[in-house]
Amino acid sequence: MPEAIEIQLKKGALELCVLALLSQHESYAYEIASKLSNLIGMGEGTIYPLMRRLQNDRLVETYLVESSAGPSRKYYRLTEAGKASFGSQKSAWASFSGAVESILGGAK
Amino acid sequence: MTRQAFMARLREGLRGLPPSAQADIVADYENHFNEGQAAGRSEADVAAGLGDPGRLARELHAQAGLRRWEEERSPSAGASAVFAVLGLGAIDILVLLPILMGVGGAIFGIGVAVVAVFFAGGVLFAAGPFTGIPGGTIVAVLGGIGMMTGAASAGAVLAIVTIGLVNALVWYGRLHFRLLKPALEH
Repeated sequence: MPEAIEIQLKKGALELCVLALLSQHESYAYEIASKLSNLIGMGEGTIYPLMRRLQNDRLVETYLVESSAGPSRKYYRLTEAGKASFGSQKSAWASFSGAVESILGGAK
Repeated sequence: MTRQAFMARLREGLRGLPPSAQADIVADYENHFNEGQAAGRSEADVAAGLGDPGRLARELHAQAGLRRWEEERSPSAGASAVFAVLGLGAIDILVLLPILMGVGGAIFGIGVAVVAVFFAGGVLFAAGPFTGIPGGTIVAVLGGIGMMTGAASAGAVLAIVTIGLVNALVWYGRLHFRLLKPALEH
């Protein structure tokens, strides 16, 4: 079932992608969700359970920013623990994906 | 799906979570609709992008259940974690079925035994005094009453246990159906 594998891969990578986006600049959930749904085709709704988990694990923290029009936005930024987690997940991803790549290359 | 329908189904799915968590989650998704509509998207488009509200609610429930289990190792937290995992469809009905058949068989057997003991007590109570059993009439009458009341109370306990099990089963079945249906429709 290739679809199930694709979903599992995306789910696994989602947290890493969110941490990566937040490491570039602080952002709000709608922006993160629409970026990720455009780039990797994740359902936008799944971002919210993930953000709650990251917040509960204290990898991200929130603050409110007044927006020019409408209600204030909830912004997310990485905590120190979040930055550390991103670093270790990124290197784990790099070595894992490198290994998979080399095996796939050998299999043609 | 309209915004209203999405939010209604989400709210329904979130029931049972702490009120503050429910309010936070609802506010997050309301915000998402506001942002989407401000960006010129239609309600239906935003709702479609978000996905199935029931599925999202189950995911949030599972997270809360597992988290509670990590924080307090109590039986109720354990049960909520187990059910949260069941709710995600991690354990199949095929696994559950043999267990249910075993439990159902045991309940049926105990039920038959309870009825048999009750009638045996009745026979002892009614016929005992005329058969000259050792100890005489009083032993037969009291013994018969004892067996009947014992069987009745065992039957009552069995009924309570059965009701509890059936409730759990109905709950599980409905949950499973809700999980399967969206998966089949996709």
